[in-house]
Amino acid sequence: MFRLTPIVQRIALAGLLSVPVFAQGSSGQLGLFTQAADIGHPAIAGSTTFDAARGEYRMTGAGANIWAKDDQFQFAWREVTGDFTMTATLHFLGEGNEHRKAGIMVRQSLDHDAAYGDVVLHGVGMPSLQWRARQGENTNTFDLPVEQPGTFTLKMVRTGVKTYLYVGREGAPVKEIVHTEVSLQGPVLVGLFVCAHDPTKSETVLFSNVTFQPGTPAAAE
Amino acid sequence: MRQVLLACLLAASLSAQSNTIGVFTHSDDVGAPPLKGSATFDAATSEYTVTGSGTDIWDRADEFHYLWREMSGNFIVTATTRFVTGGNAHRKASIMLRQSLDTDAPFLHLAIHGDGMPSVQFRSAKGDTVNTLDFPIEGPGVWTLKLQRQGSAVTVWTAKDGAALVERGSTQTTLGNPVMLGLAVASHTRDAVNTVVFSHVSVEPIPAPAAARP
Repeated sequence: MFRLTPIVQRIALAGLLSVPVFAQGSSGQLGLFTQAADIGHPAIAGSTTFDAARGEYRMTGAGANIWAKDDQFQFAWREVTGDFTMTATLHFLGEGNEHRKAGIMVRQSLDHDAAYGDVVLHGVGMPSLQWRARQGENTNTFDLPVEQPGTFTLKMVRTGVKTYLYVGREGAPVKEIVHTEVSLQGPVLVGLFVCAHDPTKSETVLFSNVTFQPGTPAAAE
Repeated sequence: MRQVLLACLLAASLSAQSNTIGVFTHSDDVGAPPLKGSATFDAATSEYTVTGSGTDIWDRADEFHYLWREMSGNFIVTATTRFVTGGNAHRKASIMLRQSLDTDAPFLHLAIHGDGMPSVQFRSAKGDTVNTLDFPIEGPGVWTLKLQRQGSAVTVWTAKDGAALVERGSTQTTLGNPVMLGLAVASHTRDAVNTVVFSHVSVEPIPAPAAARP
């Protein structure tokens, strides 16, 4: 198990994300990811831990929202250039805001208003595909019909500018739902995220069966 | 009596400016495509035949034919589409909300492409690029499209070849009131027209909730 130390959290909050001291020791402590930090200075510090024995990620994130022109959340990421597929099964622990968010995000930078795309599960049981086309712009959303809260599997496929949302519920195979276009450039950050949708709270999400596959999937263009 | 007369005069002057085409009032090319479009209504079959041309409804400038009316408030629009000409796989027929006839105006539409891919596409601000939400391609056919606007939320349903409508999801729009509401046809090329027959077209206002009484 690995947890960000308070000093690292303070460094992250200070926005000094690229200083070498932030590098998180030996590889594998965050599983598939190389770093974790709070984006957008949420009032409550978040954390990411990886249980290698179970293959589970436990993420706690605070923050008002990931919406409009300003994002606050906990992010665990790796860098990738080009196409990829990422899958994760997740469920929220405890009660919380019905629009608390968790999922898979691809993001241009760690800026609070960076361009991004995400496949996201809301606490109420509503999956969505959301994106900010350019830095500083408003978030766009496509919300699927609300189902019951539960355990969802989300899959993101990126092929060129296309970002695909796949959803599976309660262990069912994932199904392609919809895709949009997000023009991110060069190396991008891809990983898991959690947002409380309430500046006074933090929420914890358990992610399992997390997979990352670089390259263009055979089924896509 | 004077008010009645005034109302009659107003109605007469409005209809002089715009011939009613079924439930719509205007028919215009947007973006000046070189091949002129048209829209007709067959009262016997209640079908609309819309022909449009133009590069596309995409990026920062649109070219298409638009059969429209003005609407305010909340509403549900339904239309069944049938492509009657071949052409580009991405020729489009749609239910469109639009702010103006400008080629780069904000809009949102629920479109079916010629190859049977439903999409929700929108331009949030004048002159901006278009965002798209593309659903998996289910193949060409007779597609029924349904769009509901309720405040800033737009919810869409689709059905292929007479199947029951399925809710696909919802997005948020920046379009306000009044808004242009209508049927759009684009050929995705300036070299050919696309003709689409729309049937079972309905425009239903959603009544505002009754004001709370103390």
